[in-house]
Amino acid sequence: MNSTETLAQPTAGAAEAEAAKLTRALVNILSDSEEDQGRQGDDQRAILNILEDLDTERSRLESTQAALMNMLDDLEVERRKVDRTNIELQEVNEAMRSFVATAAHDLRSPLASMVGFSSLLTKNWETLSDEKRRTFITTIDRQAHKLTWLVNDLLTLSSIEGGALSTQPELVVVAEAVAGALSVSSFDTTHVSVCCPADLVVRVDPVHLARIIENYLQNAFRYGEPPVRVTARLQGGMVEIRVVDHGAGVPPEFEPQLFHKFARADLPSTRSKKGTGLGLSIVRGLAQANGGRASYQRNFPRGSCFMVLLPTDEGPYR
Amino acid sequence: MKDVVVVEDDPDIQSLIATIFSMDPRFSVTGLADTAEDALEIVRTTKPEVIVLDDRLAGALTGSEVVPQLKEAAPEAKIILFTAHADMLARVVDQPDIDAFLLKTDTGELLPLAQQLTNMLSLL
Repeated sequence: MNSTETLAQPTAGAAEAEAAKLTRALVNILSDSEEDQGRQGDDQRAILNILEDLDTERSRLESTQAALMNMLDDLEVERRKVDRTNIELQEVNEAMRSFVATAAHDLRSPLASMVGFSSLLTKNWETLSDEKRRTFITTIDRQAHKLTWLVNDLLTLSSIEGGALSTQPELVVVAEAVAGALSVSSFDTTHVSVCCPADLVVRVDPVHLARIIENYLQNAFRYGEPPVRVTARLQGGMVEIRVVDHGAGVPPEFEPQLFHKFARADLPSTRSKKGTGLGLSIVRGLAQANGGRASYQRNFPRGSCFMVLLPTDEGPYR
Repeated sequence: MKDVVVVEDDPDIQSLIATIFSMDPRFSVTGLADTAEDALEIVRTTKPEVIVLDDRLAGALTGSEVVPQLKEAAPEAKIILFTAHADMLARVVDQPDIDAFLLKTDTGELLPLAQQLTNMLSLL
């Protein structure tokens, strides 16, 4: 028998067996492939789940980032507020330092005269002429009054700022208050013109009103120039009193500080003036304490116009 | 005799300083001024040995601002800054033309200080 023929022509049974074998192998391969597909599907779902989680996480991070950004914005706003407060505190500190320095200076000046002249009198009483003694005592007296005025100003201002100022409002005839202030002024008020209705009445503390008008008059004589005019009228349910002078007026850059403590424009024309620098801040405080308002405007063509609005009998301050 | 110029815009203080110096016959107050500009004019003319100078004056210039010009006008003059501003001491401590600083409330020390600056105390 030819072995080649045997190999080339297998039997039908063997072929069937071979085919069955192949079929099983194919089925197995298909089965494995399905399993692989299933696994791949699982992996894909897992990956999708992870991607979903990542997306959720990203959204959460974005929200957190947005919240942080908002917090940063808020912090920035707060920081700016703190910066502003710091600047304000520095300004208050500087104002306080300046206040103490100026108060010390203004208290020392009259004190220096009093101490100096009293010391001269004590040490040289026997050798000084009567005229010299009288001159020295007169100077001490004048400076003592000046010191008293300054101390009273400081105490009044301290009461105003500490909220301890008590007001005892009553009906006051404005024309009488103006006449009273003119009569006690240390300046020559003979030529001050007054225009005020006789029946104009305010409801304020009379002592405070007198002080307001006196301080305005002092200011006009000390820093302004004649003619000085005082007018009063009804204005928007309140009484407006104006004290006008015809001096150089307040420098525009100084106007915002005009009613501040120790506010004196440092000009050659004002350096020699011996005011306490407290008068206008006291006016403002007294006006406010009595339900009114103090203000300033330039007088045209020249000079200053200091005003105060005060409640009438029908006004809000009763 | 040592000449003194008083530069002070408060008439009472000006009078006080002049009276204090009149207590020592070795001093003579030769000039009174209430502005730095007037002081400069007087110092140029009189060449004093002592200048008692306030800081806050009536004119455009302050006392401390005019010090260099005063020293130039009278190089031998001893300048005493006599002020009620205590904090001026810190501001003028480095100004070599100012020979002494005195607070206005210490008027009793003014004459001894002037005597010391003009070497009078050693002669006593």
